[in-house]
Amino acid sequence: MRIVIGEGSCGIAAGAGKVHTALTEALRGTDASIGIAGCIGMCFLEPVVDIYDGKTLLKRLVKVSADDAGAIAKAVKNNDLSAVSYLEISEEDSVFLKKQTRIALRRCGLIDPESIDSYLEDGGYNALKKVLSGMSPEDVIEEIKTSGLAGRGGAGFPTWFKWNAARKSEGEEKYLICNADEGDPGAFMDRAVIESDPHALIEGMLIAAYAIGASKAFVYVRAEYPLAIIRLQKAINEATERGLLGDSILGTDFTCRLKIKAGAGAFVCGEETALIESLEGKRGMPRLKPPFPAEKGYENKPSNINNVETFANVSWIIENGGEAFSAMGTENSKGTKVFALTGKIKRGGLVEIPMGLTLREVIYDIGGGIRDNKEFKAVQLGGPSGGCIPKELLDTVIDYKALSATGAIMGSGGMVVMDEGTCMVNMARFFLDFTTKESCGKCVHCRIGTKRMFESLTRITEGNGKEGDIELLTELCEGIRSGALCGLGQTAPNPVLTTIKYFRNEYEAHIKEKKCPAGECAALRQFVIDPEKCKGCTLCSKKCPVGAISGSVKEAHIIDTSKCIKCGQCKEVCRFGAVEIR
Amino acid sequence: MSDTVKLIIDKKEITAEKGDTILLAAKKNGIEIPNLCYLKEMSPYGACGMCVVEAEGSPKLLRACSQKVSEGMVINTMGERALKARKIALELIMGDHKGDCIGPCSLNCPAHTDCQKYVKEIADGDYKSAVKTIKEVISLPASIGRVCPHPCETACRRQHVEEPVSIAYLKAFAADEVLKNGEHILPEVKAPSEKSVGIIGGGPAGLSAAFRLIQQGHAVTVYDKMPKMGGMLRYGIPEYRLPKKVLDTEIAEIESLGVKMINNCTIGKDITFEEIKEKHDAVLVANGAWKSSSIRCEGESLEGVFGGIDFLRAAALGEKPAIGRKTAIVGGGNTAMDACRTAVRLGAEEVSIIYRRTRDEMPAEDIEIEEAMEEGVIFRFLTNPAEILGCDGRVTGVKLQVMTLGEPDERGRRSPVPVEGEFITLELDSIIIAAGQKNDPAGFEMLETTKRGTILADERTFATSIPGVFAAGDTTNDGASIAIKAIAEANEAAKFIDAYLDGIEIPHKKPVISEREVTDDMFTEYEKHPRIKMPQRAPEDRRNDFTEINLGFTEENAREEATRCLSCGCHDYGHCKLIKYADEYCTDCKKLKGEYHKSFKEEKLEVILRDQGKCILCGLCVRACEDIAKQGILGLVGRGFDTVIKPEFRNIDIKSICADCKKCADVCPTGALKIL
Repeated sequence: MRIVIGEGSCGIAAGAGKVHTALTEALRGTDASIGIAGCIGMCFLEPVVDIYDGKTLLKRLVKVSADDAGAIAKAVKNNDLSAVSYLEISEEDSVFLKKQTRIALRRCGLIDPESIDSYLEDGGYNALKKVLSGMSPEDVIEEIKTSGLAGRGGAGFPTWFKWNAARKSEGEEKYLICNADEGDPGAFMDRAVIESDPHALIEGMLIAAYAIGASKAFVYVRAEYPLAIIRLQKAINEATERGLLGDSILGTDFTCRLKIKAGAGAFVCGEETALIESLEGKRGMPRLKPPFPAEKGYENKPSNINNVETFANVSWIIENGGEAFSAMGTENSKGTKVFALTGKIKRGGLVEIPMGLTLREVIYDIGGGIRDNKEFKAVQLGGPSGGCIPKELLDTVIDYKALSATGAIMGSGGMVVMDEGTCMVNMARFFLDFTTKESCGKCVHCRIGTKRMFESLTRITEGNGKEGDIELLTELCEGIRSGALCGLGQTAPNPVLTTIKYFRNEYEAHIKEKKCPAGECAALRQFVIDPEKCKGCTLCSKKCPVGAISGSVKEAHIIDTSKCIKCGQCKEVCRFGAVEIR
Repeated sequence: MSDTVKLIIDKKEITAEKGDTILLAAKKNGIEIPNLCYLKEMSPYGACGMCVVEAEGSPKLLRACSQKVSEGMVINTMGERALKARKIALELIMGDHKGDCIGPCSLNCPAHTDCQKYVKEIADGDYKSAVKTIKEVISLPASIGRVCPHPCETACRRQHVEEPVSIAYLKAFAADEVLKNGEHILPEVKAPSEKSVGIIGGGPAGLSAAFRLIQQGHAVTVYDKMPKMGGMLRYGIPEYRLPKKVLDTEIAEIESLGVKMINNCTIGKDITFEEIKEKHDAVLVANGAWKSSSIRCEGESLEGVFGGIDFLRAAALGEKPAIGRKTAIVGGGNTAMDACRTAVRLGAEEVSIIYRRTRDEMPAEDIEIEEAMEEGVIFRFLTNPAEILGCDGRVTGVKLQVMTLGEPDERGRRSPVPVEGEFITLELDSIIIAAGQKNDPAGFEMLETTKRGTILADERTFATSIPGVFAAGDTTNDGASIAIKAIAEANEAAKFIDAYLDGIEIPHKKPVISEREVTDDMFTEYEKHPRIKMPQRAPEDRRNDFTEINLGFTEENAREEATRCLSCGCHDYGHCKLIKYADEYCTDCKKLKGEYHKSFKEEKLEVILRDQGKCILCGLCVRACEDIAKQGILGLVGRGFDTVIKPEFRNIDIKSICADCKKCADVCPTGALKIL
């Protein structure tokens, strides 16, 4: 039997490393082997341990802890896996994977990311072989055109078009760049691909390099992804050793070198021209477009930049044909899309679905709906550049056009689900806090504009909003949208505009009534004790860090609102539900 | 393939060179597209967002500085969307701009005298230029420099370091210096316009208007009821503050320009208003406010009761009013101070000030109060006349109601409240009521008046209800005020009279400017250097006569004092691209105000002065240093809102590597960089 532990960053964070150590110890002396895999995408069930017989999955154990190692080892030794059935994934949770269609993630969590053999055994590099043994660069571009693949980084620009532009751009030397500077809060699709299936990225990039005529390629990964960098470097080394990367790949005259460049943590470097500046060793600030990178990119040479997920689809398209890819999806959005489903959702994790599913299907059928039986309120797509979509629009299909029509965007795949307890003004403020900090400072609209939006939202959430603030915010949003230099600034108003569009009443409640309907904004909350319910247990007054609660034993307590700092500890500690927020 | 493309910019068909940007192609055809971060010698940068234009078929605005022209393009540089985007860019920049376009001294001066400029000229020893600068606004600098309550100094930023710059006395100094040498700085007078203006009243307002209008080539006649010109400057301000010789010289200067001056001419008696109107193409009424206000107190008609300005006028005329041994002056303003100190000089043995509030609330200037105290005047605060006592129709004393301070009024001034039943009696030979002054409408009945009886004049144009008749100074609207306010009004009125005579209209537009909000802690870097005191005659000496009490600055004093100026007004105002656009787009500078970006003043580069508060991060200096000067010393440091332009490697001795080329300051679109 073969025991495979899911060791992506998330699995490791949940304790997969400890499970690995404990299992190694417990299984010593047996003929069971222990291996690793990347991330299967079920964050809510980590750590995940798969037990295989050859290639057959016998059992998938979830939420495994090091303490379970003994039981698992015993079951393995006794060849009686029913003994660990209590750890097995439930039918209900299995739906999470069953309802997905995986292309970019097809090997994630299933193969060993640190072994090229594991990739090769699964048919890896066949697409590259196919390309190099008979397809011209134009053929490749044509196939991608047929597939309808669009940039998965967020903009959704047709991939073939960019490749073709770079191919046709004049210049001896051309560059291929992979944008792995995944920065949206709550997005981790690219990290999972690199950590779990690094060769898929390399293979996709090699095919793209061949198509555009580049012999040098870079992967720009954020430095906050150390495991991804280690695994990708290992994959590069192994691929180079096997003649799959470097000079005369697979014995042909196609040469391509691949280098990793670790980004220093600036969100704006996810913007392609800022990324290029950073790659050149300069301050990460966007350039003016035109000229576009296809014309003047890295070192002013023609360059093509695609996102990790885009590349991860390429080998599948080559192997299965563009038509197979375009058979999935909607009229103007083909194939599948990976989402990082997070927030107040029951089953959060990586979800790859064919375009055309509705948000409801993703959130309810795959994600299992809202945690703790609360009401769904909104879902934020596209991170700080995106927008929120309210309950009424849950039946919107996942499609570039349909999502844009709501005011949100497809984005790179962040899907943050919010429940009734989320204040939408505060949510917008959170994202503006992010963009303000991540603005590079170059253009006026973004540098000062996002700051002013953030200040205005802060005033509103603190109860200092005034009549006319919504109108001023809207005016500011529109100005920034049309005036900012790069995508970061141009899309920064989206969270504000969509929350104003769908949740204007919440803004008005903050401004006019000085109330936060969701009860999230601390400055607008008032904690009171219901004397009917209070039993005088004194627990709250003991817990209160500022001594704002008074009252004798067995008598109703009172909160002095002038002293109260609204930390909510009294409410948490009360066993009688006597503390209320007003 | 052709090397040109045809396109349309602002409905104008244009042939442009291929490869030109929209901005360049427009410029070549006389269409200016605004920009703040662009220079054609450098590659486009795209930071300011001012050059955005609309292109037919493009949902997005295009940055004209980088977008190349293409065949068939239809560009609109002044479309609504583009204008909106520019306006918001300017509002964002101005809301984060920490700088004064104009110094607060000049802004607070009702006449907007360019104080910073003439103070600098005095510091440089160039007194003639200083007087020339002052005369752009004030025709009587030596006189006004002596008497002005100087709102300029009230606003002076130097007080955040220690004390304001002695701006008013510096003005008097410069004027005296020039006059001392027998030199007269006179403006050019245009060729005769064949138009004439009659001015009623030869005080500060009338004389100022005469000075302005004569320069425009108009024939100007000033009619005044008193024996000599000068108005309140002559008959309201005592000799010891303003020697009449000084005033005479300055009035003679105005007369020398060709102004006809007619004295002893009272309207309605010697000539009617109608006659003046008939005689001239335009008339300015500037007859001042010469009637003392009453305090509505019993006994006011007794012999020995004088009105404040009546008393001062009598003294000025050498009439020696009979005030006796003991006198008291009712009031707390500058007229009260002038009156009490005049009384001292006329030989009164006991002179009191009766004022119903305390010293803190006194509207008179501090220095006047101090000097009066030094000269032995007794201040009876928190008292108010209840009744003027008399015997046989003559004043014998005053019954004073004791007062206390109540709640502050809407202006924050605590109002006096009587303390019930508490009175003091003061024995007196005379009493002078200096509780304000009023205009006299006699002879001007045909002009519409305000509720308070002053002549109604338009606040912008100073036009009255009769076309061609204008009014300015104490006689109008809110009534009596300070001389510089009357001058300010007269200057403006003169502008509108000139326009009226030329048959043109001056459009109404207040220029957009940037003003800094300051606190004391912003001035800690300055070394303290106290204000130089005006040398004065000793109190015991000066109280005996009417000779001027101030001895005047020495040249050394004046130049030293002038160097205390912080030069708050921006050196670049007038050339600044930013404020030009802000004004053009009617930017509301305060609309998008919030936290300011980090800023500092740094003189590390030795050759230039850098003021980050005015930096708009256009990056031109950085690029000039790198691309033109080939130095690459400057760079952007920090991120987002707190990005600043600094030498990138901060520990390097910049002076040793800076080539002193000053290119950075040359290209700066605002006043953030200044060549030292």
